[in-house]
Amino acid sequence: MIDRTLSSTALRTYWLGRYLERAGSTARLVSVNANLMIDLPALLSLGWMPLVQILSQEEEYLSLYGDRINTGTSAADRNERENNEKTVVKFLLSDQRNPGSLLNALAYARENARTLRGSFPRGAYEHINEAYLSAKDLLQEPLSRSRRNTGLQEIIGHLDLINGFLSSTMLHNASWQFYRLGNFIERADMTTRLIDLRTTNLVKGASDLEPFTVIQWRSVLNSLDSMQNYTISMQNPVNQEDVLEFLLQNDDLPRSLMRCLNTVRNCLRQLPNNTEPLELVNKMRRQLQRARVRSLKDERLHKYVDARQKQLLTLHNKITNQYFPKS
Amino acid sequence: MAINWQTYQADNVWDELIAPNGRARKGGAALKTALGKLDDSELLERRHAAELAIRSMGITFTVYSGEGSDTIDRDWPFDIIPRLVMKTEWDEITKGLIQRVKALNLFIDDIYHKQQIIEDGVLPRQYIDKSKDFRPECMGISPPHGMWAHICGSDLVRGGDGTMYVLEDNLRVPSGVSYMLENREVMKRVFPELFSDYLIHPVDDYPTELAKCLRSLNPNNNRSPQLAVLTPGIYNSAYFEHAYLANAMAAELVEGRDLEVGKDDYLYMRTIQGLVRVDVLYRRIDDSFLDPEVFNPESALGVPGIMRAWRAGKVALANAPGCGVADDKVIYTYVPDIIEYYLGEKPLISNVPSYRCVEKDHRDYVLDNLDKLVVKPANESGGYGMLIGPKASKKERDQFARQIRANPRNYMAQPMLNLSTSPTLIDANAEPRHLDLRPFILSGANHYVTTGGLTRVAMRKGSIVVNSSQGGGSKDTWVVDPQ
Repeated sequence: MIDRTLSSTALRTYWLGRYLERAGSTARLVSVNANLMIDLPALLSLGWMPLVQILSQEEEYLSLYGDRINTGTSAADRNERENNEKTVVKFLLSDQRNPGSLLNALAYARENARTLRGSFPRGAYEHINEAYLSAKDLLQEPLSRSRRNTGLQEIIGHLDLINGFLSSTMLHNASWQFYRLGNFIERADMTTRLIDLRTTNLVKGASDLEPFTVIQWRSVLNSLDSMQNYTISMQNPVNQEDVLEFLLQNDDLPRSLMRCLNTVRNCLRQLPNNTEPLELVNKMRRQLQRARVRSLKDERLHKYVDARQKQLLTLHNKITNQYFPKS
Repeated sequence: MAINWQTYQADNVWDELIAPNGRARKGGAALKTALGKLDDSELLERRHAAELAIRSMGITFTVYSGEGSDTIDRDWPFDIIPRLVMKTEWDEITKGLIQRVKALNLFIDDIYHKQQIIEDGVLPRQYIDKSKDFRPECMGISPPHGMWAHICGSDLVRGGDGTMYVLEDNLRVPSGVSYMLENREVMKRVFPELFSDYLIHPVDDYPTELAKCLRSLNPNNNRSPQLAVLTPGIYNSAYFEHAYLANAMAAELVEGRDLEVGKDDYLYMRTIQGLVRVDVLYRRIDDSFLDPEVFNPESALGVPGIMRAWRAGKVALANAPGCGVADDKVIYTYVPDIIEYYLGEKPLISNVPSYRCVEKDHRDYVLDNLDKLVVKPANESGGYGMLIGPKASKKERDQFARQIRANPRNYMAQPMLNLSTSPTLIDANAEPRHLDLRPFILSGANHYVTTGGLTRVAMRKGSIVVNSSQGGGSKDTWVVDPQ
């Protein structure tokens, strides 16, 4: 059977998947970071800037707010970090000038969904539209912390609903595969970013600080909605070695790098002319299976994760070249 | 408080629901009673529910803000009180509309072949020679079934004496049908109980009928033709409709850049698996943008070579290029003659009496009576560029008089019609507002007419401008059996 999915439709569907996934990640990041602030003593707190770093948006942030990336340890630095919560949260969630803000991700998703009404189930646009409209209402004014948290949970709920709705109503055809490719490449990207940043900024030093290292790893797990899964799968208290193995190599965890790569492979196998991207993703899977990720530390860990991110970018480019319109 | 029917008064016009004696017209009693039972808060609640439904369903239309290329996506304006049409009357109207599109298609086919109607002296040649929408490139082409205007939207209005008239025929790329379908969906969501009082004829077979009509145009001999809807893109005012119809017909929604014409003159779309042939293209862009090789060379919306593919009979285009020649407000004045000429029948639905500014005695009358007439340019749509004499200032009328003298071929005039009204929810009460009705007529291997159509209503008191781009709203249109 001939697949009639338009190249331009495939492109917009893929980006719809990425934008929606990104919106969810951003909402979880902000929500989890707020908890981390509560759990870490002020002395160790890194404040909100790491979130901007995770999303590689330092440049945009600095150009808009003229701040600096503040990771200093002096009292003044800590004080300033307390104060930048408002600007960072605004920047990440609602600032229309930031192309990567949650609200903009949802706006782009909605624009894409609008152009995809021809190939998506009818209710999909309604749900995506609802998610955007409720986020817009919610993020219009500065929020109290508790209202913000319920609001973010609402948005995450909308996004989960969209995925569930699509999964149970949409034809699992080529369009669906492109949607999932967008989802899982974005997700793999986020998982590796989170590991990278928390590693770089991890509290180091005396053993009495160890409980706080654990808190930081817990926050990584929470950001990926994976704390409960960790407990069930690893049967161990939170520690770096197990967390790394779990987030990178676990076959069953929906947000692990391995699971993302497996899903990407399954999607590609349903598509025509898949040789190039499929070969790459299989190579990535083999490498990941063999890697001794438990023992990775500091600089080596950073280098390892960085190389995975570069591969993900190459994968994205191969998919683009193979299926999307030549611009 | 509730709707106060005692004070409801439609002054000197025909009201669709309430007769001059204050009682409901035939078939309208149940609606009047049901609405009368709702108190203010219930009425406003329903209206709010409708607004919410429209917002969440994403039923929007786009208006141009006039500054640069900025556009605004607005929620579709909707009035929750439906407009009733009796089935018996609708059956007569249906016959009249089919008669009209049959004649119009014969006319277009004649114009692009022998031009017999001109030879026989029924239509002066100058109207074709000077028509903006006559396309010499279409001469000698014979589309399937001899049909050119496959989708036609004719605007119906009712005058003060209750007579239905055709105000104009939109044959190029008429829009609005998706709103007809969505209005019904919204009504079902917000007023489900009203539906139990009536046997309301459904409207939702339109996409199926449209797909059937388009398939019947397939010039290639494959049994399941590939259909596609060509849209100018997301910034077009009718984009919502393009996507809606493509979705409902399971056709691909394409833009010009998704398409190409091959060396073999077939039309192809670019898919993830390479090129796939398109057999029938429902194009929603104007002729002039269709093919930069033939028409506007600047057009980035169209497809280079598509006219070649169409002329070679390798793709069907709906509507066919060139059919706008019959969608000209001066040609409109000849439609009764066109019906008689081709079908030998009397028109079943009347034209609004019209004056052609190109004819001296008509023109003199128009210029002397500008304060009583509505003057329309031959080739505009959306209510643009017209003069509503009785509401215009002296300065505006003088300016129009100059325009008419300078280019009489481009204008026709009609007496100002007292458009009929129907109860419309204003605050928490019903007030009469003027409206029209746009049914859609399909012509392929067979003809089909929508059940009712899109009712557009002027929300401003006394206004007769119903276009949504100019503050008009809409209503669900119920074709019902009289009780």
